[in-house]
Amino acid sequence: MTELNSDVMEGGSTMTAAETPRSKMGKKVVDMDHVPKSLSDEEICLEVKDFRLYYGEKRALHGINMSIPKKRVTAFIGPSGCGKSTLLRSFNRMNDLVDICRTEGEILFDEKNIFNRTVDVTDLRRRVGMVFQKPNPFPKTIYENVAYGLRIQGINKKRVIDERVEWSLKGAALWDEVKDRLHDNALGLSGGQQQRLVIARTIAVEPEVLLLDEPCSALDPISTLKVEELISELKNRYTIVIVTHNMQQAARVSDYTAFMYLGDLIEYKDTDTLFTNPEQKQTEDYITGRYG
Amino acid sequence: MESTSEALFGVSEQRLTKMRRYRKLKDQVAAVGISAGGVSVIFAICLIFFYLLYEVLPLFMPASMEERSTLVNYELSEPYFTVLEEQGQVALTIDRQRGPVFFDARSGAVISTPGVASDSAITAFAKDAPGTKAYALGFADGSVLIQKPAYTIEYGATTQDKTVIPAIEYPLGQEPIQVLQGEAISKLAYRESDDQVRIIAANAAGQLFMKDFAKTESFLSDEVELEEIDTVQLPSPSGELSNVLLSLDQRWLFLVENKGKVEVLDLRNPASEMRVHIADVADAETHITVSDFLLGGFSLLIADDSGRINQWFIAYNDNNKPYLANVRTLTLVEGVAITSLQTEHRRKGFIAGDAEGNIGLFNTTADREVADEQVAQTAIDWIAMSPRGNTMVFKADGDAPRNYHVDNEHPEVSWSSMWHQVWYERYDEPSFTWQSSSASNDFEPKFSLMPLTFGTMKAAFYAMLVAVPLAICGAVYTAYFMAPALRTKVKPTIELMEAMPTVILGFLAGLWLAPLVEANLAGITSILVLTPLFCILAALLWSRLPRDISTRVPDGYVPVILIPVVVFAGALSMWLSDPIEATFFGGSMREWLTNSLGIDFDQRNSLVVGLAMGFAVIPTIFSITEDAIFAVPKGLTQGSLALGATPWQTMVRVVLPTASPGIFSALMIGLGRAVGETMIVLMATGNTPIMDMNIFEGLRTLSANIAVEMPEAEVDSSHFRILFLSGLVLFIFTFLVNTTAEVVRQRLREKYGSL
Repeated sequence: MTELNSDVMEGGSTMTAAETPRSKMGKKVVDMDHVPKSLSDEEICLEVKDFRLYYGEKRALHGINMSIPKKRVTAFIGPSGCGKSTLLRSFNRMNDLVDICRTEGEILFDEKNIFNRTVDVTDLRRRVGMVFQKPNPFPKTIYENVAYGLRIQGINKKRVIDERVEWSLKGAALWDEVKDRLHDNALGLSGGQQQRLVIARTIAVEPEVLLLDEPCSALDPISTLKVEELISELKNRYTIVIVTHNMQQAARVSDYTAFMYLGDLIEYKDTDTLFTNPEQKQTEDYITGRYG
Repeated sequence: MESTSEALFGVSEQRLTKMRRYRKLKDQVAAVGISAGGVSVIFAICLIFFYLLYEVLPLFMPASMEERSTLVNYELSEPYFTVLEEQGQVALTIDRQRGPVFFDARSGAVISTPGVASDSAITAFAKDAPGTKAYALGFADGSVLIQKPAYTIEYGATTQDKTVIPAIEYPLGQEPIQVLQGEAISKLAYRESDDQVRIIAANAAGQLFMKDFAKTESFLSDEVELEEIDTVQLPSPSGELSNVLLSLDQRWLFLVENKGKVEVLDLRNPASEMRVHIADVADAETHITVSDFLLGGFSLLIADDSGRINQWFIAYNDNNKPYLANVRTLTLVEGVAITSLQTEHRRKGFIAGDAEGNIGLFNTTADREVADEQVAQTAIDWIAMSPRGNTMVFKADGDAPRNYHVDNEHPEVSWSSMWHQVWYERYDEPSFTWQSSSASNDFEPKFSLMPLTFGTMKAAFYAMLVAVPLAICGAVYTAYFMAPALRTKVKPTIELMEAMPTVILGFLAGLWLAPLVEANLAGITSILVLTPLFCILAALLWSRLPRDISTRVPDGYVPVILIPVVVFAGALSMWLSDPIEATFFGGSMREWLTNSLGIDFDQRNSLVVGLAMGFAVIPTIFSITEDAIFAVPKGLTQGSLALGATPWQTMVRVVLPTASPGIFSALMIGLGRAVGETMIVLMATGNTPIMDMNIFEGLRTLSANIAVEMPEAEVDSSHFRILFLSGLVLFIFTFLVNTTAEVVRQRLREKYGSL
């Protein structure tokens, strides 16, 4: 385990490891190389292979290798600017929207590289849903917000949509609060309600993965608690990847935690181990609050 | 304390307090300065508004009459006709016994009695157009004498102190003209043109004779020689004559009969075919009391004993047959007989008096009674007017005549004359017409603002038709799809277009584009069709291209491939122009439009205006729309895209609805600009005030109309004030449009404010 973990660190942090031609190695070896040992038993959902990302000339991610387990909560922690959000956004190719962004390496989803030209990016984004830091409900009714993902796919049957809206709002633990005002403007909801609405909107299209980009950073403690409870419930159905600045939150909600620093994946293991017994000095410094 | 601040900031407490006070002062000065700026902007707008209002309000002030004096020395009775001279000081009355008598219009004292050079008794009277001042007297011996007053002004010590000295002239010589042989003239009509004098006289039996004289004027002595051309006996009227009226053009003779009929004779026809129409001008219960011509000698005013004055004139029906049309009816006091009527000398108006002492001022074009007042208890016998229309003398039965000052500046303006269809003289039906001036003095001004408002809307409509799709699509693309690097170049470039002086756009449109469009009508039309078609085709092709090729063009730079497509479409259209016109339109599309479809084509037409003004409006709409779309929070678009929406779906379902307030206000401000635009429409429309949606015809807008006519409008005239009124209409319109835009934007901003 020690050996494997040190490999993770080296593979992430040094150029040499990142630039090693992966094709020469067996697939299984690669998996084992960069995955916490406890993870090797899990079913893998997303597999990141030697992934590098550039903003113009600047390299933001230096050859990341990792695997995200299915139906678990994986948290990305690290100081601001370490690339955790960038990595998260790569999973559903939201980085495509940044004009100067360029990638190398692979991210495998369903054993297919999501950067392959044949991949339909809209389909990818439906299957890999995302919730942003700031709640971003559309300036429409609560009902229409949830129905949006269905309508854009051409589903317009009222009965189907009614059912999905109710199911999603219940799934996002919001139904009881809004069932009497489904046709009110969503912008009238509180921040926490808005964030849960966004989660409901995302799960309405049945994604396989939920990417949560600091979902609670704009919320008050009570709303945060509700969203965290929701995350614990949702992990039975979805693979969840969450980026957070709040280490208590990572410790509370996640099964696995990855610590990133300056574009490198420093340490990645199950949450309890990482927080109680970090292997790397940088990880320890960060989780004990010495920087970041 | 002092030491702490010294220690902390290195400045003494005193100095710090001083600095704080200075800072506060600066803040207050800034606050006051900014408020003053804002208030003065509002003040300036209010000032413009109130100035316009100040110029316009006199139009809507009612006319007034005010008594000046009573003519206590008046001693005449039963005149045919009384009229004042220009200054309103001297009145000329045509007395039945004494002939012409001049008297003082203030006191009634007789100034002189020139009399007539005839021994015979006066039996009939007829006047020519008021501008000529001439009138004819008919005598018991069948002769006719033409007279005319002449006034000279002698100034005293000051310019205010002037004396008017009247005299009588004989423009056609002092020798009476023999019209009837030995019979008394009972009714008389007379008109004099540059080369002909026409006299129509009726004898006691009602037989009518028309005598024409050729008029030659001696160059040296100004003496006029008359040469008899012809005498024609006209068809006799069927009843007893009340009046005989000859139109100014000497063509139409109206025989007004006591029993309520008017026979219309067309004097151009041979005698047997002269009677072209008989009109019933009064019903069984009413009787004609007074009849006269309105200014211009074309419209008849026929007053009756029911208090109504009807205007009639010759119009042509669908079969092109002339008939006497009842154009409008004005009422003084319902049921009270009109006893006297005097027409204005320089306007299409008249004064009527009735049996109960009411006097009313009317205007026919405006179709309204400008003022009325009961000035006496008895019937008004006669009314005299000064040519300027500002002095009136009338006599009520049993009273001495009274002199009134009349303040009646703008009788021709009313709500209906500006916004409703008006039946103007020489038109065959009511219409919306703008024609503010003409060479003739007895012209009827046509102040309908409808053609101008319509033209304004039409120009704005075609401009928006061109500008809106281009500007909005362009803005959507620039804000949402274009590469940021390209956007930073494209946006300022389009905004720079706004700085282009519109006079240059108008100049180009009028002198380059208009002839180009006219010569290549087919080419221009096909550009409008082919360019979008080719663009869509190119897009279709592009989407079918293998991804390997299409992804080679960087994101956001794809539109560059449209440039050759647009150039090609334009070149192809222009190249095809001549062949298309030759093959399908027999050589000229423009002639084909006019001859085959009956669509009039003006070189300066709405298509040209639409293109040129569209070009001027595009930057406004583009800029605001682009800002609105770009301001849509990125979180919303990302949220939509993260749900698997395509960029297009995100655009249509999230971005456009969120940006809609901005887009709406962009459209409104663009519309406001198009409505207020002057130079382009002035130079490229032909300025024809017609009401027709035809894209190939010209128009005249309110703004261009002001620019064209203000320099030639007499200051403080009705025309001048109506131009201000049209400015006020424009002001209010743009104010409303912009306010609507702002209110809608504010309300929608509240709705989306929490984004």
